[in-house]
Amino acid sequence: MTDLLNAPEDSAFRAEIRAFVEAELDPATRAKVSRGSPLAREDFLRWHQSMHRKGWVAPGWPAEHGGPGWSARQRLIADEEMFRLHTPPLPGFGLKMIGPILIRFGSREQQQRFLPRILSCEDWWCQGFSEPGAGSDLASLRTRAVRTDGGWLVSGSKTWTTYAQYANWIFCLVRTDPEVKKQQGISMMLIDMAAPGVSRRPIRLMDGTDEVNEIFLDNVFVPDDLVVGEINMGWTYAKALLEHERLGIGGIGRSKHLLARVREMAEATGLGDDPEISARLAAFEIDIMAIEATTLRLLAAAEAGRTLGAETSLLKVRGTEVQQGLTELMLDIAGPAALPESAGDCADALFANVAYQFLNWRKLSIYGGSNEIQRSILAGQVLGL
Amino acid sequence: MIRFELPTEEALLLKDTAERFVADHYALEQRAKALSAAPGDVPRHWAEMAELGWLVACVPEDAGGLGLTPAQIVPMMEVLGAGLILEPVGAVSLGCAAMLARALSPDDVAERLAPVLAGEAIEVVVAGRDGAPIAARREGGNLVLSGASPAVIGAAAATAFWVVAELDGSRMLVRIPAEDAAVTPCRLVDGQAAAQVVLDDVTVPADEAISGCHAALDFGADLALVGVLAETSGVIDALHKATLDYVKMREQFGRPIGRFQVVQHKMADMFIACEEARSMVLLAAEAMESKDAAFRGKLVSAARVKISDAARAVLRDAVQLHGGMGVSDELAVGHLVKRLLVLTQTGGNRAAHLKRFAKAA
Repeated sequence: MTDLLNAPEDSAFRAEIRAFVEAELDPATRAKVSRGSPLAREDFLRWHQSMHRKGWVAPGWPAEHGGPGWSARQRLIADEEMFRLHTPPLPGFGLKMIGPILIRFGSREQQQRFLPRILSCEDWWCQGFSEPGAGSDLASLRTRAVRTDGGWLVSGSKTWTTYAQYANWIFCLVRTDPEVKKQQGISMMLIDMAAPGVSRRPIRLMDGTDEVNEIFLDNVFVPDDLVVGEINMGWTYAKALLEHERLGIGGIGRSKHLLARVREMAEATGLGDDPEISARLAAFEIDIMAIEATTLRLLAAAEAGRTLGAETSLLKVRGTEVQQGLTELMLDIAGPAALPESAGDCADALFANVAYQFLNWRKLSIYGGSNEIQRSILAGQVLGL
Repeated sequence: MIRFELPTEEALLLKDTAERFVADHYALEQRAKALSAAPGDVPRHWAEMAELGWLVACVPEDAGGLGLTPAQIVPMMEVLGAGLILEPVGAVSLGCAAMLARALSPDDVAERLAPVLAGEAIEVVVAGRDGAPIAARREGGNLVLSGASPAVIGAAAATAFWVVAELDGSRMLVRIPAEDAAVTPCRLVDGQAAAQVVLDDVTVPADEAISGCHAALDFGADLALVGVLAETSGVIDALHKATLDYVKMREQFGRPIGRFQVVQHKMADMFIACEEARSMVLLAAEAMESKDAAFRGKLVSAARVKISDAARAVLRDAVQLHGGMGVSDELAVGHLVKRLLVLTQTGGNRAAHLKRFAKAA
């Protein structure tokens, strides 16, 4: 795979990342990640703690709140190297979502209370946005909050809540004013998963895992100091959140990692020289290069002072299309070897997670605003249609 | 070393002159008039183009050029592509002059390049099908060249050819006066003047051949391709803009067709293709500055593949969304589409470059 970030200072930074990961990452966890196996809570936590000790967990945060002070370019390099070296992903809902929201819109007390615990992973956050009937059309959400003494009573349900089984806090969008235009009556609230009235039901997925959940909120009391920013401004905050990490949305590190794995599979099965397979691999490498080149081009423009707009939606669309395409190529290379259940005795170690990953990654074009929504954003906000 | 630097002042200046030129000289009806000229005539705006500095843009300063990097000429080439100009700017300035400046000795450069850069002579590179060299054999103290190239852009009005020849497995450059070849001028589907060039035992003194210029030849081929890709990106962008304007304006079922989601998604995909194409052109252009020829070639090939795909996809939807108008001759769309057909076959097609990419380490 061709590295486009290859200026001399890039290489030095790359080497620093590599040295740290080589020294710190537990080989068993690394093996799991490299095979694409599901990870346990401890796998995530151990790595998070290593990264936290180093001060690297929150590349997107300003230095005064505990970020490492990396440039956007360095963040892309770090991301790429971490994927290359099979590190577990850091739980993102605190670091990439609610953390930045609190930094921008939260009260001083909220920042002091929650940010350090996000960095240390003492708190594991999950995201309460989607609802049955309000997925990509988030503005239709119906979970409601009714005013009460000193706070709000929240009732409703949330769904597709990733890793809620590991989480002790959830940030929710709730409807605080049903009378106004649907985007305008929404607020963002922080809810303790242990609060009375909160319950959870795992959702079994077709890949055999239950990494997502349904969350039920039954008259849950949320004190005023756990409302983020102003009442009825939740939609604005949620949108700002989606703008955050925009350049990372193409998932270049993840795609490169996956491509390398697919190449290994092709080599191991003697298909490395097969004209069809090698042409498909080459085409995917070029696809990834185009996403990376576009990311870097937008990054250069952003660093030169241009505001990034909705055009970054294209990175989500193309990034996820490529990743899903690669899982299809994996299936084609594995052939019938992809069919046995991962845990079963007939599973071939090389292909043990191929079907799992293919199934699991169908979600990529659905979550985070479906690819259809991203196309509609491009059409509406960039093209003016 | 890829940095995606923004266009410099000089690059923007060249782009501006190109935009003004296209606006002044290349409205569709002016272009139609230019097309009625014989393909072998000297292009009507050639002297002006030389004066604007377009022919010297990528030629090193010590060879009489502006010494711009490939990335800096991308904005200009995009405009010239979208403007559907009929003069062989890319073929002469990038394919020939920039390459010669690197292949010739310093003395030869000054002497031989000056008339080309001044627009007084038109000289282009001739190779065989798919860029393969023309066969040469030795006869006494002479080289004898035989081969044919079906559609050499710029050859119709050329005064001399630089033939990429091969002798004993080694490539060399041989200059021959245009009258020594059988030149059959024609227009390509997009209206550009080209010519079939046939070399039938053309004899040249062997000591005039320039050998040992492999690196320059490879560089020249890649640079010319980058020019083609930049033009392609400009055409793709123009098709996208034209289609976007059209779907905002054209009404069906009581509203602009751009209000229908299926059309919006097609437009979003077209936008994505445009952006990826532009990224890849800039990537390839910046890679041209690398000393590592393999890295350079690999990225240029990647760009060719991606841009061919983008061109095909955008072409298909641009015509489709224009409906009947899209297949008419009245709008720029049809002309842009025809230019894309030519551009995607110039400098090696998708299949050839996918193969080169896959083989590169």
